[in-house]
Amino acid sequence: MLAIEVHDLVVEYRQPLRPPLRAVDRLSFCVREGEIVGFLGVNGAGKSSTIKALMGFQPPTAGEARLFGQPATSALARQLVGFLPETALYSPYLTPYETMRLYGELQGLRGRTLHAQIEALLEAVGIAPKMHTLNRQLSKGMLQRLGIAQALLGDTRLLILDEVSSGLDPVGRRELRDLLKAQHARGATIFFSSHELGEVANLCDRVLIIHRGRLIAEHTLSEISSRFESLEDYFICTVQHGVDALLEEVAA
Amino acid sequence: MRVSTWQVCRSLAMVGLLETVRRKDLYVVLILTMLMVLGASAFRIFGVSGLEIFVKDVAFLTIGVLSTVLTVLIAARQLPDEVQRRTIYPLLARPIARGQLLFGKWLTAFVMAGVSFVFLAGTAYALLLLLGIPLKPIFGQYLLLKLLGIGWLCALVVALSVYLTPAANITLSLILAFGSGLFGRLLLMAHWERGVSALGINWLYGVLPHYDLFDMSQKVVYDWSPVPWWVLGAMGLYALASGGLYLLLGWLRLRKQVLG
Repeated sequence: MLAIEVHDLVVEYRQPLRPPLRAVDRLSFCVREGEIVGFLGVNGAGKSSTIKALMGFQPPTAGEARLFGQPATSALARQLVGFLPETALYSPYLTPYETMRLYGELQGLRGRTLHAQIEALLEAVGIAPKMHTLNRQLSKGMLQRLGIAQALLGDTRLLILDEVSSGLDPVGRRELRDLLKAQHARGATIFFSSHELGEVANLCDRVLIIHRGRLIAEHTLSEISSRFESLEDYFICTVQHGVDALLEEVAA
Repeated sequence: MRVSTWQVCRSLAMVGLLETVRRKDLYVVLILTMLMVLGASAFRIFGVSGLEIFVKDVAFLTIGVLSTVLTVLIAARQLPDEVQRRTIYPLLARPIARGQLLFGKWLTAFVMAGVSFVFLAGTAYALLLLLGIPLKPIFGQYLLLKLLGIGWLCALVVALSVYLTPAANITLSLILAFGSGLFGRLLLMAHWERGVSALGINWLYGVLPHYDLFDMSQKVVYDWSPVPWWVLGAMGLYALASGGLYLLLGWLRLRKQVLG
């Protein structure tokens, strides 16, 4: 079964007195259940806009996005999805425990099950000792860990993570990698964007590269390693080639 | 499994109240209460004999103004705060509908504004008793009607917060809340002076929001007997119908809105 299906997705932002800004341009791809897929691109390539459309925050201008066969905008689709936003900000007047309880309740969890899951997740991301400290007193890295913990609440079968390792120290990155591998081992599908290519190389089965809103490359990690020295070489080469190809297309 | 609207509302309202306490918003209500107590003390020093009506008028005017301003300020920031802090993303990533979120935010605002109003009105009641000015049973109906009005005003402000910036929403909501008493008179003037048709006047009167209808403070001030309960029932229906309409209009915009 496909966890994510995106067909001819177009996302445009309206601008006053100017033509709309097209952030995603006829993008199509799919992610099978159980895969770990890295979603790469330079700044402004359209990664976050695509993820917003996948989560139903941004209605597509054209095309469609589906999660487990359901339209991305439906609440049913989000039942099985854990999401980490690009900037993990949480109410400064709540503690990590209260934040998790709120999101857990909205996920449909209750009572002891919820309590046990909150404690286990906060322990797993390493902020259990701070679970009763106000969020405003936590560092950026700790808030990112809280963000990862809230994304794992419930019985999530798909994790969509935007800039997953942002703000994490090397220890935190290692822990995150182990955590995501454990989630993958229990059958979760992971779709994430990151500028940390080392993380991507360590985790992914497959890589998608987006440039100016279009998908310009899609390869498995083994295909990449057979042709390039590193993921960084592949990425830079692909993006550069993609720019050339786009310029040629525009010129034509 | 989809989360019930009640569960969403309960969770959001609990968190809203917790944030209000921690943000020390209730201090504002306490400070305002202290000011009322100080004012009452001044009346006590100089004596209120023969001034009972005036003292009650001042007390209910104060409660009316403070509760309206607090209601507008509380309701106007429910959704924009979530968008500005970007906490809206993890909320909407849950299996909840945007309509449930809107309703939950309305309930949060209603509970917070309602608690503040009851606290202010309770303090005023106690102070008036201390000054030897007891209130008649119509005060209970005043409380009930005002709470209906606060729920109605919260619906209007929360719905407007989907369409307007917070500053514009607060300004417009305060104008609508405080100016609503003038709408009827202005329309009658337009009818008499400019010859605007009665049909048009009635239509406009029906469309404009009427927060003033929820205020029976003058009846309390002048010690009226309780009004028939069907009047409160009719006002309840008006609050339900027009408040529901405002929330519906807010939802129609929010469900397709790009957030953040």
